[in-house]
Amino acid sequence: MVGNAEIRFGRNRESKQSDEFEGGLWFVRHFFEESSEEKPLPIWAPDTKRAARARALQGSQPQSLEEDVLRENTSWAAEEAQGNESLEHAFFSLDYQHVQVPFEITLWIMLASLAKIGFHLYNKLPSVVPESCLLVFVGLIMGGIIYGLNNKSPPVMDSDIFFLYLLPPIVLDAGYFMPSRPFFENIGTILLYAVVGTIWNVFGIGFSLYGICQVESFHLQDVSLLHNLLFGSLIAAVDPVAVLAVFEEIHVNEKLRILVFGESLLNDAVTVVLYKLFRSFCEMPAIKTVDVFAGVGKFFVVGIGGFLVGLTFGMIAAFTTRFTKNIRVIEPLFVFLYSYLCYLTAEMFHLSGIVAIIACAMGMKRYVEANISLKSHTTVKYFMKMWSSVSDTLIFIFLGVSTIGENHEWNWPYICFTVIFCLIWRALGVLVLTFFVNRFHINTVTSKDQFIIAYGGLRGAMCFSLVFLLPDFHRKQLFTAATTVVILFTVFVQGMTIHPLVDLLDVKKKRESAPTVGEQIHIRFLDHLLAGIEDISGHWGQYYWKDKLEYFNSNYLQKILLREYDQPKSSIVLLYEKLERKHAIELAEAGQLGHAPSHPSLLNSHRTVIADRKSEDILNPDVLKNIQEILARSLYRIRRTVPAYNRHTLPGETEPTEQAKEILILQHRSLWTEISESDTFSSRKESQKADSYSAQGDSSPKPKLCRSLTVENAEKAQELKHNRSKSVCVISPLQPSGTAWVNKKETEELTPDI
Amino acid sequence: MGAAAARPPPGLGALSDETGLSPAALMRLHERFQALDRDDKGHLSPADLQALEGLALNPLCERIVGAFFPAGAQRADFPTFARVLAHFRPAEGAPCEPGGPSSPGSKLRFVFELYDLDGDGQISYRELLQVLRLMVGLEVPDEALAAVAARALREADRSGRGTLCFEDFAKAVERLDVDRRMSIWMLK
Repeated sequence: MVGNAEIRFGRNRESKQSDEFEGGLWFVRHFFEESSEEKPLPIWAPDTKRAARARALQGSQPQSLEEDVLRENTSWAAEEAQGNESLEHAFFSLDYQHVQVPFEITLWIMLASLAKIGFHLYNKLPSVVPESCLLVFVGLIMGGIIYGLNNKSPPVMDSDIFFLYLLPPIVLDAGYFMPSRPFFENIGTILLYAVVGTIWNVFGIGFSLYGICQVESFHLQDVSLLHNLLFGSLIAAVDPVAVLAVFEEIHVNEKLRILVFGESLLNDAVTVVLYKLFRSFCEMPAIKTVDVFAGVGKFFVVGIGGFLVGLTFGMIAAFTTRFTKNIRVIEPLFVFLYSYLCYLTAEMFHLSGIVAIIACAMGMKRYVEANISLKSHTTVKYFMKMWSSVSDTLIFIFLGVSTIGENHEWNWPYICFTVIFCLIWRALGVLVLTFFVNRFHINTVTSKDQFIIAYGGLRGAMCFSLVFLLPDFHRKQLFTAATTVVILFTVFVQGMTIHPLVDLLDVKKKRESAPTVGEQIHIRFLDHLLAGIEDISGHWGQYYWKDKLEYFNSNYLQKILLREYDQPKSSIVLLYEKLERKHAIELAEAGQLGHAPSHPSLLNSHRTVIADRKSEDILNPDVLKNIQEILARSLYRIRRTVPAYNRHTLPGETEPTEQAKEILILQHRSLWTEISESDTFSSRKESQKADSYSAQGDSSPKPKLCRSLTVENAEKAQELKHNRSKSVCVISPLQPSGTAWVNKKETEELTPDI
Repeated sequence: MGAAAARPPPGLGALSDETGLSPAALMRLHERFQALDRDDKGHLSPADLQALEGLALNPLCERIVGAFFPAGAQRADFPTFARVLAHFRPAEGAPCEPGGPSSPGSKLRFVFELYDLDGDGQISYRELLQVLRLMVGLEVPDEALAAVAARALREADRSGRGTLCFEDFAKAVERLDVDRRMSIWMLK
């Protein structure tokens, strides 16, 4: 703990008393890396340190620990600007040091969140100006205030805080909710842009800036090629945080979004390697060819190593959730713990942490979601979104704060050319690469898409942190200035103009309609069809590999990673259940609102329902639809108002299931009312069309089924399953009570059911 | 086999015009045809296709094989083979005979016909359920599957007849970009 505190705050500096309480803003110093200020020791510093400090302060021998502490307290108290008396006599004392760090952190997060509320209060603002711009602006104001009050540079965001605490939640959120189908369909293109595109940009920018440095009038002769390449490596990378923030608000089509976003995530591997490579080159006296090859090899290690680490942790996480059935409350924790561990492990080995965490999230998602409960799933989703949102906001605010100050050397020619070259090389890179992609791929990238990809190459806080990690050399401030300007340019200018440009160019937008079950079925069908055709034609395309992976998954992975007695549900069934759940919730709400007061008895019991229905037997079929709707609503209500009727009483189910199954049951019950209606009232054809619950299919077998059901007993409901051989759809009710109800209707009994 | 592979199949030019495949693609297909034809019979039988292990595990195996052997035929010669595979030619680019295998809409019709086994031009509830059962496997209970099929039918069926005609099907899949999906680069 102490070590951490030192690294975070002190970096092995001499500890002397801090002397401030200026304007209430002194707390910010303690959170950031400082240039020359000192800090008081946090409460967890060991006593020896305190003793040393006390000694330093008073030059006397330490006697006992208590006396030391007491003396320290008194000395601190004495030096405070407010001049408190010794602590023993104060009724009401201020001990800020005690809560300092958590207090400051919370205050910053609070500021960030309040800023967010502020923006969204005024509805029009987020559509014109992206949120990231506003946050940077707030940061700029804060920085300006701090600067104005202290007359010193405001503190700069510590790179460790960024890389270890602020970045992982965002990347985890991105990886977990990445739509895997478009991602893997476009993976070739994404990798091409991420790897080759980034390398192209790095070398392009590095060499052209070196060329600029050769011009004598700019006074930049002393910036060597290596320095320029190092700078190029950190400025060339597209930043996932910025891209996410901006592309959230412009709803472009799925493919385009995944291309830019995937690229911004995966180029981390390249950035890490190149940055470290050039940095080590800067410090080495001579560079041999071997080193260059070592660098290339290192890239594969970093990328593939990160991927493997991520996958391993993902599989372990999935395996762990297999056993969490009895402790559902901490299930979400595993998701976060394993992902974070994975990131830290990758960083520990100097592998690409981002690639690792993405691989972990994508790998474990499928199995974890099958294993954890619905509530845990919701928790995971909301916590992830919340953390990533907070991180995102904090990053942009700190970006703004850190811009102000005296860390910069404003050499305008260099800065302007940096911006220009970033744009030019990105555009060129995208053009050339897309040319190759379109030749070898069916999935062409149109020129409008290309423009958005090039224009959407935003730089952000990653570049910023990397520039502050640079070793101190005499031209570092030039680089920080250039980085700051590039980031501000991309965030403000590109961020604000991309939305009107998307509209102007009429780029294909995301289709907003809801997913349908039919589509899922057809997609799967096409997958299998294409896999088969690829087999026949001997072409090992993406469907072939996808098929192989699915086979491996279903035969090996699922057996290990999924809980045994759970049926692995296909995505079709999952989607269906999700949609039905939503539908049922809507119905329930509509039922509440539209509850007909003329049937108050319907609220109470099953029996009353039957009684009411019996009284309406004589009505003509035109009112049938109304009755069915009312019944459906009432059925749902009854289920909720009768507390004894819980999931455990449903026979025929192996374990308690979630609401979805209940809804399915509900639907089937209402389906049965449909069927029995048609039979009883001899109005087959009409009744089946009316209600939204009815299964539109072969109308002919249903009355037949119905008759067979009513003849049999409830216990014999299982026999219906054997009808499958007739290839007639059998909708067997999940519980005898449904059948019993139908039976009762037919036989006109009133035995209470539930 | 090598000598046979070098010889172009008869009627290559006409086939190329009809299917829209380039002669180079047809040559590749011809090589594949000869590779699949294990006994060197000069035509394919269903057993030849089913010998492919990947295909044998495919849930839609019978239907796909059935597409190559229409109306219960037991032999498929090269033009048939090429015509079926021409459905998967990437649509962008070279024009072909209208109504030919890779004209727009023909891909969709090919898929439609795979669903519609009895050939009445409508996908009925039963046919949909059968396809679902094939794809989803044995673990899913009947009632869930039935409900899924019912819902899918309900979503797509705009005429209220309880079956899907070709237009309904086309509308249901219009978001999926079927033409792009049903393209194999090898056939470019």
